[in-house]
Amino acid sequence: MTQTSRERVKRCLTFCVPDRVPREMWLVPWAQDRYPQEIAHIQRRYPSDFDDAPIVYRPSPRRRGDIFAPGTSTDEWGCRFTNIHGGVEGEVREPILPDVREWRDVRPPYEILPQHLSATRDLVNRHCARTNGYVRAQCLVNPWERYQALRGPQNAFMDIIDWDADRQALLDRIHDYFMAELEFWVSTEVDAVRLQDDWGSQKQLLVPPHHWRELFKPLYAEYCQLSHDRGKAVFFHSDGNILEIYGDFVEIGVDALNSQLFCMDLDELARLAKGRITFWGEIDRQHVLTAADPAAGREAVRQVVRHLYDTSGGTIAQFELGPGANPTVAEAIFEEWESVGRLELPTQGWIKDE
Amino acid sequence: MNATLQELSHSVITGDRTRALDLTRRAVAEGTSPKSVITDGLIAGMAVVGAAFRDGELYIPEVMVAARAMNECLAVLEPLLTDRIMPSHGKVVIATVKQDIHEIGKNLVAMMLKGNGFEVIDLGVDVAPDTIVEAVRDYEADVVALSALLTTTMPNMMEVVDALAAAGQRDHVKIMVGGAPLTQSFAREMGADGYAADAAQAVELASLLLHPSTPEGEASPRAEASREGHGRVAPDESTCR
Repeated sequence: MTQTSRERVKRCLTFCVPDRVPREMWLVPWAQDRYPQEIAHIQRRYPSDFDDAPIVYRPSPRRRGDIFAPGTSTDEWGCRFTNIHGGVEGEVREPILPDVREWRDVRPPYEILPQHLSATRDLVNRHCARTNGYVRAQCLVNPWERYQALRGPQNAFMDIIDWDADRQALLDRIHDYFMAELEFWVSTEVDAVRLQDDWGSQKQLLVPPHHWRELFKPLYAEYCQLSHDRGKAVFFHSDGNILEIYGDFVEIGVDALNSQLFCMDLDELARLAKGRITFWGEIDRQHVLTAADPAAGREAVRQVVRHLYDTSGGTIAQFELGPGANPTVAEAIFEEWESVGRLELPTQGWIKDE
Repeated sequence: MNATLQELSHSVITGDRTRALDLTRRAVAEGTSPKSVITDGLIAGMAVVGAAFRDGELYIPEVMVAARAMNECLAVLEPLLTDRIMPSHGKVVIATVKQDIHEIGKNLVAMMLKGNGFEVIDLGVDVAPDTIVEAVRDYEADVVALSALLTTTMPNMMEVVDALAAAGQRDHVKIMVGGAPLTQSFAREMGADGYAADAAQAVELASLLLHPSTPEGEASPRAEASREGHGRVAPDESTCR
């Protein structure tokens, strides 16, 4: 009997021998609009092992427009985004908190959090009971991204060096909101929660590591503690080269880390984290997914397998179809992962697919 | 270099804007020419910042606060320049290409270029090719620096190259490109003169493209790799301003 998707992912995260590598394909609206048939074909052939909990947030009185559509939009915090290229997220051009001394004016969107907790929890739990997929909460805890959206990216980066009581108060206000949001999700039957902040550039961390450890690592540690206390795994996404803090994510207990592996030294990653964290992708979306030749996708998978893969677990076949991506490369990636090896139950033997 | 200018450099390096402003005023009061304060105090400090960033010893926030300190000091010095001309290693028109509004990378490059003595004309984001051509002509720019963060906006860089050629400006200006999805080979294919992987490399590349005979412009493996985009190993000096 094959494992369910939920079992498979759990075994992967705990290094208890999944029957195959779990798989997940991310899509941005650009890809969905451009390649609907190709994507549907891939999804039929290689269904995802992941499922999302229902969206249970209340409508936001502040939200306007669509962050993925050309034009301007406003999100639930009141942050304004500008987009001219539809299909990808907009950018903050005019921050709503140019003067950090006015942090008290920032109103986190507590109004959108579920209020009829029992009924909402039941809704989520019924969904979890009905599916064999590995269910993640519909939250996206991202304190650094939120800080940047409120202050504007340039101000936010300089704030790291100019740090003072006002900036700390702003970050505390953001953190308190995310803790409240997570409190709801960890009280449900979801399997995991999601955190996301981009900390890397192409070649190094965006901010000095000691500042990151002082200001943001404690926040993530608290999210991990809360989640683990209630039996939930933590999935974390960060773009860029985050090699300098990869060990920190292992230390605070992040279960699965989605990172741009191909920005980093795979040998060094293996030394730091193989067997200690699950590599939740990715296959290079900048140069491999956009390649003309599917062979590039296969070779990328082989590189990950050579350096980071272990039959006991710790690897998820994940990538994102973003702007410029080639669906034939995507399909080749999943094909290659399928050929890595499958565990045949109940004999417990290891059978390599020919 | 006198002690005040050394301290000023250090203040720029640490991003201490208050101290940097005090030292700028002190240097002027001591009789140091504004141009010397700029080149030997401010630019000297930013050069250290640039090298440290290139080598992974400093990070973006530190570069930004250093540039901020420098810019605040420049604002004090500029009115004092007798000929109103800032010392310049060259003029750079910089822009994020049409249909792309990502700007933090471009802004960092602009800061580093300015901090290293280039005159920077920042056209902003979502900039049409014609606007860039116009700026090159109006400002007599030496370099065009193009940024794109989306794979789908990279082709718009080629439109800029074509527009410059159509306007008869291509041979009067060097083109360098950068942005996360870009590669050396793309830069070569599109006819750019060079590709820079980050802001620190952008400064080195601009120097190499404009001043190949200076110590900074002497060939190095990285310099050669960065400059090969236009199919020439070294720019013809007659085309440099």
